[in-house]
Amino acid sequence: MPTDERLSDDQLQRIANDLRDNWHTGREVDFEEAIAFHESLPASKQFATVLESADQPLLQPRAGVPCLEEQIDLLRYLQDEGGADLLPTTIDSYTRDNEYEKAEEGLAASRGSDENELNGFPAVNHGVEDCRRLIRALDAPVEVRHGTPDARLLAMVTLAGGFQSFEGGPISYNIPYTKRHDLATTIEHWQFVDRLCGAYTERGVTINREPFGPLTGTLVPPSIAIAVMLVEGELAATQGVRSLTLGYGQVGNLVQDVAALRALRKLGNEYLRDEVTVTTVFHEWMGGFPPDEARANGVISLGGATAAVAQPDKVITKSAQEFQGVPTKEANAAGLRTTRQLIDMMIEQDIDLGGIEEEQALIERETRALMDAIYEAGDGDVAQGVINAFDSGALDVPFAPSDAAKGAVLPARDDDGRVRIFEFADLALPDDIKEIHAARLGERAETEGRDQSFRMVADDVDAISDGKLIGRPTGDNGPAGGASDAD
Amino acid sequence: MPRTVILGVIGSDAHVVGITILEQALSAAGFEVINLGVQTSQDEFVSAAKSHDAEAVLVSSLYGHARQDCEGLHDELDAAGLDVLTYVGGNLAVGQSDFEETQATFRQMGFDRVFDAETDPEEAIEMLREDLQLTTTEAEQIRVDG
Repeated sequence: MPTDERLSDDQLQRIANDLRDNWHTGREVDFEEAIAFHESLPASKQFATVLESADQPLLQPRAGVPCLEEQIDLLRYLQDEGGADLLPTTIDSYTRDNEYEKAEEGLAASRGSDENELNGFPAVNHGVEDCRRLIRALDAPVEVRHGTPDARLLAMVTLAGGFQSFEGGPISYNIPYTKRHDLATTIEHWQFVDRLCGAYTERGVTINREPFGPLTGTLVPPSIAIAVMLVEGELAATQGVRSLTLGYGQVGNLVQDVAALRALRKLGNEYLRDEVTVTTVFHEWMGGFPPDEARANGVISLGGATAAVAQPDKVITKSAQEFQGVPTKEANAAGLRTTRQLIDMMIEQDIDLGGIEEEQALIERETRALMDAIYEAGDGDVAQGVINAFDSGALDVPFAPSDAAKGAVLPARDDDGRVRIFEFADLALPDDIKEIHAARLGERAETEGRDQSFRMVADDVDAISDGKLIGRPTGDNGPAGGASDAD
Repeated sequence: MPRTVILGVIGSDAHVVGITILEQALSAAGFEVINLGVQTSQDEFVSAAKSHDAEAVLVSSLYGHARQDCEGLHDELDAAGLDVLTYVGGNLAVGQSDFEETQATFRQMGFDRVFDAETDPEEAIEMLREDLQLTTTEAEQIRVDG
């Protein structure tokens, strides 16, 4: 079982040598020469520099297509027509499964046709030099965004290729994404990725790391998400990462979202060692979107408004075509501009919302309780602790497909639309906190004239795509008295 | 005695929300639920149905590859000597295809009932009761909320 200790230079070298032969582009990776390439980049392409010096939230979309020229065109469009401050390159699903043969076939098929045969950019197959062409062709810094449990070769190739930010982590790219990867193995794999980022950082090339905050994207209680961010942050910091962007996904209740982002920043600075620069990223709603694009724009706008109040360092935007899947470049750019409009109109307003401090205090107390349980489960070691805590259910993520988590915790919204916990299972929260959640859900049950049940959970999962926030009974077979506004 | 049903997401699909809600709904309705989770193979469905002496196999798919993933499932069930009720539900085809056509395709493949992603758990459970000829008194924990 891995412990939270820094990999030695020998270990880093040995693992890198073993990975080099997994795909031929691995052999192009030369660390010294990669440092020289990064040093040749202007400050405007240095991810950490741009992000950490910004004075208002920076905007970043998601985007990835198979072929290099099309990816450059797409990112240029998002930069020029969408006004993206930071650019992404989203990696395809075969690469995420380390299936480089299949990615190669998909890439070849995409080159010969107008159709995209992959759902992202297969960076390992493209190799170091093509990644650098991409970096050279754009004006903004570029991040690798993916969902890869074993991202070691992807990190070697893309970091050598000039990318300066790398999304993911051993929990956030395991628990929500896959069934059969055990946590001990993904932690070992990400210790390598983080150590590699640390090695660049020590040579003056700061690599930004971004744990994936939204997790399963489905009504994740803020304290659970924040605890995972702190654990991944600590694991990364141990390996020498010095620029960490902790993430959080919008739940749609303005007060709770602002409180959660403030708690995330505060606890990030408190838990992570002083040498680490902590920034935050807010993901616009990651759950199901309304099919109606006009309504989808409403969801995006609420995200922009929340960002204007909470002022995270970065916002990952969505498009109004989210319901249908991968958006056109026009819709993607429009999502950036919609968000920008809200932020620019609201950011200078002095907006005083009631209840933020109280909500933030609750989130912080819950997060501390979860972190205490994690340390305890590992006798002080966060790597062992997080493995044991997921195993016992002391830490859990709702709707987790992974066998490594119990997935027994269930969330539901309270009468105000804040995400509370309906089923705690073995989650390590003290009784007084459980009582607060139960009382809030009790208020909702009373309003709706029904018992607290999984039915609320099911209704809440669909609520935003159905045009609401809270999954109230619609009235066709339920009692009257729910504040439902059926359309 | 509670009736046992097998539940799972077939193929390499990792969409877990739907079956989590179904599992809760089925358990609350008095069924014994064996939830195989996401990324479940045909073999796993068949062996679970056999070892748990299940009366129904409920297959979920949301990523559009259901037809490929379910091809041959009924042959495997037959080969294992299992005569169970089979349901399939979710986003069964890529894009905006006509649901009636999709329904016909999956009925042809041997599924007893075919549901789209908009189906309420209660509706599927109602049909399950009907198909298993269960009366409401048999599953006494039933409580219809909302």
